Amino acid sequence: MVSLALRKRGSRKGQERRSASQWAVAWRRFKKHKSGLLGLGMVVALILVAIFHSFIAPYPARPDPNAFLPLYEGEAGQPPSWKHPFGTTIIGNDVFSEVVHGTVYTLYVAIGTTLIAMLITVVVGISSGYLGGKIDDLLMRITEVFLVFPSLLLILVFARIYQLINPEPFWNVLGISIPVNLTMIVVIVAVFAWAGNARVIRGEVLALKEKEFIQAAKSLGANSRWIMLRHIFPNILPQVIVIATLTMASAVLVEAVVSFLGFGDPSTITWGRMMEESFQNMSTTWWAEVFPGLAVFFTVLAFNLMGDGISDALNPRLRE
Amino acid sequence: MGLAKYVIRRLLYMIPLILGISIVVFLVMYAAGDPIQIATAGNPSITEAQRQFLREYYGLNDPIPVQYVRWLDHFLHFDFGKSLYGGKPVNEIISIYFWETLKLQLVSILLAFAISIPIGVYSAVKQRSWFDYIFSGISIAGVSFPVFFLGIIFILVFSYQLGWLPSAGAHGAPQLWPVFGIQNPFLDELAHLAMPATVLTLAGLAYNTRLLRAGMLEVLRQDYIMAARASGIPERKILLKYALKNAIMPLITLLGMSIGFAIAGAPATETVFSWPGLGRAYVTAASRLDFPLIMGITMIITIMILVANLITDISYAAIDPRISID
Repeated sequence: MVSLALRKRGSRKGQERRSASQWAVAWRRFKKHKSGLLGLGMVVALILVAIFHSFIAPYPARPDPNAFLPLYEGEAGQPPSWKHPFGTTIIGNDVFSEVVHGTVYTLYVAIGTTLIAMLITVVVGISSGYLGGKIDDLLMRITEVFLVFPSLLLILVFARIYQLINPEPFWNVLGISIPVNLTMIVVIVAVFAWAGNARVIRGEVLALKEKEFIQAAKSLGANSRWIMLRHIFPNILPQVIVIATLTMASAVLVEAVVSFLGFGDPSTITWGRMMEESFQNMSTTWWAEVFPGLAVFFTVLAFNLMGDGISDALNPRLRE
Repeated sequence: MGLAKYVIRRLLYMIPLILGISIVVFLVMYAAGDPIQIATAGNPSITEAQRQFLREYYGLNDPIPVQYVRWLDHFLHFDFGKSLYGGKPVNEIISIYFWETLKLQLVSILLAFAISIPIGVYSAVKQRSWFDYIFSGISIAGVSFPVFFLGIIFILVFSYQLGWLPSAGAHGAPQLWPVFGIQNPFLDELAHLAMPATVLTLAGLAYNTRLLRAGMLEVLRQDYIMAARASGIPERKILLKYALKNAIMPLITLLGMSIGFAIAGAPATETVFSWPGLGRAYVTAASRLDFPLIMGITMIITIMILVANLITDISYAAIDPRISID
């Protein structure tokens, strides 16, 4: 027993040391990837704006009555100026402030969706690939169903059903108010965002399974759970990180579409929601439509650039 | 195994899939709430008796399994029931919108496919050239640009600012002619198609070129390409005959999938351009929870995707001799 425990700890140490150097190599390669760095910089900027949103935005977020100050000052529907860098909406909101406040929701959607989707992806991909047999058959049939589902359309239906159930608008968790309806959308989008990626992971695991070090671990008496957690998972981690970055990009896009079509959270002002509100008046106040749209674009671009950079840095076949 | 046998087996395999999807969607929707309550919530003058009558009329009082079996029976006779709004048969609604969506999608999918081949191949061959950098930059920006937002920009520029093209609909009303100086019905249709088709083409183009460029780069690194070069085969022939044929496989999968999903339309783009297609009809149906219409469109799309997948797999075997049907 003792010797087995020692061996386990020893192997873990070895693993860590090797993977550390692998990550160091990847970071060195990533640093040379200009567009990847640009993406990383944009993501960092986005996170900073989200953290300091209440300091950066000149006006508070709705439903605070002060959010309508431009209206009281007779400045509704104003084009971009020094006072209102992105102009004001027809109902008198400062577009710049609302875009800044919106970064919080955008990051929430990106991270929340990705966490849930990646959890499903990794669990399904690894257990399907490694365990094989009946479990593989069952999981792959379920995956096929999710691949065939016209997901965006069903997301709309589910989002609408939750809108009508009309839960309380916010949950208060440790002093942070979390929008309930937006959380539902995050869950719905995540449920439809894993199938294709789970297949990719399964393929990777199938290839890994035949490698010598897995056979060695097996012959040393390691059980399946140990091998999946300690040997398979660290080796697919690079792939998982790339997929996760790209999932963040698509989650932001899908949430923007859902909100733009009017299926979003009625109690939060996301960028898609802003575009929905201004769509009817965009011939007069085009700025209220274009700036939130550009915010979506730059956010998705940032995640995509970063994902490309990471993918190139971690791809062993591109190594010089 | 013969082709006919393979097709039959795949078709049989679709049956449980279609049944499963229909059961899941049906259960979720009908468990979610009373559609009549939702439909009449905004109308205070409707009495409970009238609601009861409507429920009776649409057969919503029966237990859910009974309703499902009845729906399935109608479905097997190609009948999707009646819309909860206006009582129009779902089949009729779908057949109105189907062709508009198909027209828009086929034009843009085929254009995107055709244009992406030269760009993708050339970018891969001249990797790290200015051409490659420009088009790679454009395509990653294109992948990141929300398609409906591109539509909004187009409307702002070409309809509102320049006044060249109509911003909404698939046809101008003849009694209002000339709209934008167009009196010919064909030109009128073309003018309405121009912007949405361009937007969807650009969106598809961005994905296709990225996929094809990556595929070409991968293939050009293979040994057999070097062998072909060493044996003096002209570069042009190597590219088009040996490399492209292998690099284009993922693009064909994507083409098959996008033709399947095309019937779902592009809900956001169709909404932006007020295009009278299935995507926009679905958005309306979803916002009203018009269950029969949602079920109808969902089933049509599911079947189209399954059939497109089957055709893709068969064409795989036709293109790549290493893949055999079994």
